[in-house]
Amino acid sequence: MSVPGPLGTIGTLMRYWVKGRFTRATILGLVIGEFFSIIFILFGSSTYLSFSNRVGLSTGLSEVALSLLLALFLVGLIQSGFNGSGLPVSASDVDYVFTSPVPPREVFAAKVLLNSLTTVLFGFPPIIVLYLRFSAYYHTSWSAAVLAGLVTLVFLVIGLLLSADITLSLGHGLGERKKLWRNVFIVLVMVLSLLPITLLIPGIPGGVALITQVLPNGLAAAVSVGLVSGTAGGLAHLADLLLLFVWLGAVLVLGVRMSRGHFYDLLEVRASIGEKFDRPNQVSRLDPKGKSIWSIVRLKEKILISRTREVRAQLISAIFLAGFMIIYALSGSFQSSPTSFLFILFIIGSFGSGTATRWIEKERLWILKSSPVSMRRYVKEVYRARAAPLLLYLAPVVIAVGVPLILGGLSQPSLLLGVILALPGALEIASITMAGGMFFASKYGQSSTDDILSSQAQELADIRRFLFQTIINLVMVSPVILLVFVSETLVIILGPSYLPILALGLVSISLFFTGLSINFLLNKAGDAVTRREDL
Amino acid sequence: MALDNVSLKIGSGEVFGLLGPNGAGKSTLLKILVGILRPTSGTIRLGEYDIVAKKLIGYLPENPSLYTGLTTMEFLQFVGKIRGVADDLLDQEISESLKSFALEEKRNSLVGSLSKGMKQKVALIATSLHSPQVLVLDEPLTALDPKTRVSVKDWIGGQTKRGVTTILSTHDLDVAQTHAGRIAIIDHGKIAAVGDVESLRKMANTASDARLEDVFLQLTEEKSEEPTRH
Repeated sequence: MSVPGPLGTIGTLMRYWVKGRFTRATILGLVIGEFFSIIFILFGSSTYLSFSNRVGLSTGLSEVALSLLLALFLVGLIQSGFNGSGLPVSASDVDYVFTSPVPPREVFAAKVLLNSLTTVLFGFPPIIVLYLRFSAYYHTSWSAAVLAGLVTLVFLVIGLLLSADITLSLGHGLGERKKLWRNVFIVLVMVLSLLPITLLIPGIPGGVALITQVLPNGLAAAVSVGLVSGTAGGLAHLADLLLLFVWLGAVLVLGVRMSRGHFYDLLEVRASIGEKFDRPNQVSRLDPKGKSIWSIVRLKEKILISRTREVRAQLISAIFLAGFMIIYALSGSFQSSPTSFLFILFIIGSFGSGTATRWIEKERLWILKSSPVSMRRYVKEVYRARAAPLLLYLAPVVIAVGVPLILGGLSQPSLLLGVILALPGALEIASITMAGGMFFASKYGQSSTDDILSSQAQELADIRRFLFQTIINLVMVSPVILLVFVSETLVIILGPSYLPILALGLVSISLFFTGLSINFLLNKAGDAVTRREDL
Repeated sequence: MALDNVSLKIGSGEVFGLLGPNGAGKSTLLKILVGILRPTSGTIRLGEYDIVAKKLIGYLPENPSLYTGLTTMEFLQFVGKIRGVADDLLDQEISESLKSFALEEKRNSLVGSLSKGMKQKVALIATSLHSPQVLVLDEPLTALDPKTRVSVKDWIGGQTKRGVTTILSTHDLDVAQTHAGRIAIIDHGKIAAVGDVESLRKMANTASDARLEDVFLQLTEEKSEEPTRH
């Protein structure tokens, strides 16, 4: 009997993981997903290029924008790496793969290749469309767009490897003992990755953004934009490209070295998450005496959030949103275009809605569904417990940003109404997207690693959820954005003297609409839970 | 179709066993009984109430998943509260139940840190905290160690003495024979036979002292080629 070589083993593992995952239905879902992504990319890039043409923006700003976009992706991957999801391992992997005599580093290689394959399938078409749109604008050849796409793919693979490395490091002594250093590292990478946005603030020296040039997102953005804009070719871009491949080599070697140990460590890290809160002399924080059922439900959620990593996820979402609001306001772009602020906030808010979607607790629904509580009300109370903290973190930022803006804009009443509407609108959009997140989590469930790796139906459900969530969230928040959009025209038609009445009326309408939307989405979420039968 | 034309009457205070091969429809029937799944047609009555009277039922699923981030006490307080147990009775009820399952020392431990057997005991306590009139237990003894099995069996016996109607789905034929007054054998979503062990033996045309295992195999037409053991 011949023993397969490393490549043969990696190929066998990939076939085993891929098998059955790409059915006709999955492929159809992927095609529809790609279609919507491409439409979105075309819309976004055309809007950006038209704005860029009108205002006379340089390619430098395109580089900053792309660097920021890639940075958001990178930070998301780093976060998932720290959450132990950088290298998805299912129970059947542990049962059948890790018990086989396959060297762990070959398992690592197969896992990374599989992740990269999915990313290439999902990511490459929209990326190419984006670069083709840019190359058409800058009159460069289509081959430049393809090359730029390949460079960005290298960046995506670096991100995936980095995420896998971080997850591997959790099981190799870096875990709890090095928690402080771990947190310092993630904050540092986040701050460095987001530095390009500071260029939007008037008066900030341009040299600040150069620091990000050493990070994969900055390098990939510089080379890709250079290629599609026809400015690449110099030594600087060649050095950037080489440095990008150095990053790739470094994270690959690091991963291979760490994967020499067993992946069991990863599962141990996950198992210990709950145990670190286990203290022998702790007392119940859920004393029910004198409390209503619903306050107990909220308290239960708060305890669970505090004993998991969700608090950190909430804080990271809040930091993102708050940081964005502050920088956007300081840049002066806010006053000239509060609508674009809300639109971008919607995109970031959709990421933040992940915080609310974690509630679904599919396996534990038997506890709720076999009790006489109303699922509609239950979902609303969970929403209060999970969404309210994020809004509370953001409210002071909105006030801090809003008061100086409003006071400073008193001389320009036509623009002032948009700002007045946009500030609470930021919180309204965040709250609607979170309610949307809960509805879709209720309807389609939250995928565990096992679900994703073993069930094609779950994968299809995830694609559907992503599509519907994006579209419906956008539809639900569009009236809030529309109100800001029409505010300037309304002030011009009616005159500045109507500003206070308009402000009061439109803010009231906006809040009323938000309340109705949240109520509608949460009722649908409750009904979806009632109908769920996959227990 | 998971269930087809199932019709059963279960008396008050009775322990009723559900037997059947894997995939026969036992768990589906129990989930419909407790209102988690909706039947495509037909009704389920509990005393003079409809099935929405969930306060009267205690349900234990086959693989109960608990809130691992709560302590045992917090978990039971939460479940008791949403099932309508009065505040002044809840802590006392929890303490007594923990004592009867020898889990007092674990009251402030996170559920996630408990062993499988302990988690099963906690789930059983949660099932009965609100003193239900009907207990619906889906494979309550699966994968438990012998010591835990004994304590769970004792607990089921205790519930029976209190007059609680118990519907018990199990693969453990000894448990069914010992505890259940009547047994329904389900196969391919249909009731193959209902009755006490004696009448099931008659229906299966087996000897009067035939083991329930043989009766079960005979009635589900999965009997092996080996002769019936006496």
